[in-house]
Amino acid sequence: MVSVELKNVVKRYGETTAVGGVSLTIGKGELFFLLGPSGCGKTTALRMVAGFITPDEGEILFDGRDISRTPPHKRNVGMVFQTYALFPHMTVAQNISYGLRFRKLEAAEKKRRLDDVMERTRLGGLGARVPAELSGGQQQRVALARALVIQPDALLLDEPLSNLDTKLRVEVREEIKRIHDEFKITALYVTHDQDEALSLADRLAIMKDGAIVQIGTPEEIYARPRSAFVASFVGETNLLEARAAARDGRQGFDTPAGWIPAPAGGGKPEKALISVRPESVRLGSPDGAAVTGKARSVKFFGGTVKIELELEGGATLTAAAPGASAAGRWKKGDTAGITLEERDVVILE
Amino acid sequence: MSLSSSERSGAGVYIGTGLIAAFFALFLFYPLYYVFKKSLMPEGAFSLSFFKLLFSNPVMARSIVNSLLIAMNVTLLSGALGFIFATLTVKTDLPAKNFWGNMFLIPMILPPFVGAIGVKYILGRFGMVNTLLMHWGVIGARNPIDWLGAPFWGVVILETLHLFPIMYLNVVGSYALMDPSLEEAARGLGARGLSLFRSVKAPLLAPGFFAGASVVFIWAMTDLGTPLLFEYRAVIPVQIFNSLQESKENLLGYALVVVALAITAVFFVASKYLFARRKVEMAAFGRTSGRLIKLGLPGKILITAALAVFIALALVPHISVALVSLSKEWFMTALPEAWTFEYYGKVFTHPMSFSSVKNSLAFSGLAVVATLITGGAIAYMISRKRFRGRWILDVCAMMPLAVPGVVLAFGYVQVFFGTFLDPRVNPVALLVISYAVRRLPLVVRALYAGFQQTSVTLEEASASLGASPATTLRRVTFPLIRANMLGAAILAFAFSMLEVSDSLILAMEEKFYPMTKAIYMLMGRLEDGGMIASAMGVLGVALLAASLAVAQRLLGRKMGDLFRA
Repeated sequence: MVSVELKNVVKRYGETTAVGGVSLTIGKGELFFLLGPSGCGKTTALRMVAGFITPDEGEILFDGRDISRTPPHKRNVGMVFQTYALFPHMTVAQNISYGLRFRKLEAAEKKRRLDDVMERTRLGGLGARVPAELSGGQQQRVALARALVIQPDALLLDEPLSNLDTKLRVEVREEIKRIHDEFKITALYVTHDQDEALSLADRLAIMKDGAIVQIGTPEEIYARPRSAFVASFVGETNLLEARAAARDGRQGFDTPAGWIPAPAGGGKPEKALISVRPESVRLGSPDGAAVTGKARSVKFFGGTVKIELELEGGATLTAAAPGASAAGRWKKGDTAGITLEERDVVILE
Repeated sequence: MSLSSSERSGAGVYIGTGLIAAFFALFLFYPLYYVFKKSLMPEGAFSLSFFKLLFSNPVMARSIVNSLLIAMNVTLLSGALGFIFATLTVKTDLPAKNFWGNMFLIPMILPPFVGAIGVKYILGRFGMVNTLLMHWGVIGARNPIDWLGAPFWGVVILETLHLFPIMYLNVVGSYALMDPSLEEAARGLGARGLSLFRSVKAPLLAPGFFAGASVVFIWAMTDLGTPLLFEYRAVIPVQIFNSLQESKENLLGYALVVVALAITAVFFVASKYLFARRKVEMAAFGRTSGRLIKLGLPGKILITAALAVFIALALVPHISVALVSLSKEWFMTALPEAWTFEYYGKVFTHPMSFSSVKNSLAFSGLAVVATLITGGAIAYMISRKRFRGRWILDVCAMMPLAVPGVVLAFGYVQVFFGTFLDPRVNPVALLVISYAVRRLPLVVRALYAGFQQTSVTLEEASASLGASPATTLRRVTFPLIRANMLGAAILAFAFSMLEVSDSLILAMEEKFYPMTKAIYMLMGRLEDGGMIASAMGVLGVALLAASLAVAQRLLGRKMGDLFRA
């Protein structure tokens, strides 16, 4: 197992810059995510770590050793592909043990490793099948087993769940978490699905237009997004324009949803954008409320109800409330009093 | 050279490209350049004098017109037959469609110049038809009808029978790719009948249709074997062939080659850029058979009967060649009077035929190896590498489709005269090279399809698991494209065994004759020459039939793609 470091890595294709100066460090045993919309360069970054693409500038270090120009077959990284890339002309067992051919191991050790990984990925009894005879989830586990059996220095996962249906995706997500916990391996996981990233990552980096815009733990990213992009890409949010205004001697901001105090230690910009998660918007009786809004739509999502409100100034604000208590309480056209959970409001840069 | 990285085009790519470019330069472009120079600059300065001579010479002028007419007729007939048969088997509820689908491919296995042997026995002055007519008293014994007095139509019919399956395969292929939901959508929007055909179906079928048609046109215009056996001399390929037989250099031959090349080039370019490569991306999954036209019982019976009659007539040349090869005596009777297998024995004992079979096996085998290596390298680079000038490689690989065998062979004879490759001294190297060059497009296409179907990701997976590029090639890439490699090799081998133009022109001494040249020479002999030639023809047909059957299994529906320009 190694630590993986990207130092100012750049990759250009003609005029377009796919990755423009990315730097990050993945600690030993860490499950690190690159999250971003399609075309943001996250897959290019991953493929550079795998060795399929050579960076134009910068270095990729494994435990401090520069491997930017090492061909992929000498890097000892395990990779799980979006399409799994299982060899269709080989059985499950042959697929998994393929990488062991190129490692100087006793036959008995190879057998032991194969049996061990198949058991740990719950593939026992499927060794003689060919990939076409497996379900999507099983194929996914074979791809994982094949990457893990070589005891790679790092594990790379390229959108590994995107070919699974929603229900299976959640199951396999848990499986990957369990397997990562068990193998404790340095892993780089690329996805555009924020649920995957938030629920699995030890830390994650948000990418946009070939650059990293924020790195942190899932909680940090969700609770303290630094930009409007991060705030709206990771989870849902309300973005409101705010203007500095002191009240009762306290620094704060006037927003369409009322006045909020400035967070301690933050900057004091004249104008700012604030982010409020829907679940931090509290709805109550309009009587005596400082700010009210009119419900433009009420959408039921099972666990939660989302209420879109039109504020007095014309701005809109979405509130989310637990489904059980909110269902039936709010109807389209109702007027509600609005308060914001002050500690959940984020002033964006 | 790294397998897994599409953009790591290191030294290997450039060395490979360089070698391939050298090969093309020496064995494709230089001979063509030489022919052009000789005919356009006869005395070192540009002049069109030869062309004036060409068109003022009535035989030459007639040959050009005849060849064009043959090609047009063959293309129109093949196109019509191919389209009708494909529509019947794909778009209607005709019973036994698979059976008919296979039957339509059978005529393809008969090289028309072999069929010509059979036709001569049937339609000759004292052939089967006249004998029967005499027997029935329809015509007198002293004035048989000269059926082959119009060899033009004999050539057209035999070539059409051989080539319409190519059109059939192409149209079926286009239908298979056409998403039925497009047709349904058009119907939903109100298109019916002719308007539906014009607005939706024809534009989607056109690329496949014209790609096939240009191959058919070029093939028919430059086929040497069939007119030669019908002794139909006033056509371009026979005139080119004859110009080489004369002891002194006949410069008209050069001009004729340039004319042939110009015509084929026009067709090739037209089909490739006017219609075809506007790539019509079509349904990849969820394919349904779409709406079938209901023929009704009378229609079914009528069409089935018509198809049966057509196939029966189409097989007459095959059957008669087989009859000739098995007949002990066949003269002035409807059917042979006595049967024998001795001519099959003679194929392997007669010195000329036996050495020709050995020669053909050796030349074709070597050509397959050469074309697989060259074609494999080209297909690999085109599909896996990104480098400047990639398209040039692609164009070069497809060039031989536009360069007829007679043209190439003519160029070889002229260019390599007096060199160590001189075919007058020993034609083996040039025969092998010409076979290989002529099959290159087919092999490149089959292997390219294989590489395209095999996801690069599999190669990357192999590399990430620790396999070196060579190991990846051996363990992952080759096994996955094995079917394509085998199919391509088998087809290339069979077509080389039956290659006519190159063999007739380049092999000048008996000890170097390949099968096709031996068949031609044997036909010219009295006694048992025709029977031995027929027996060889039947063996050739059997080989081609078996090869196509195996290739069809290996390559599946994609086989139609191999016969396109």
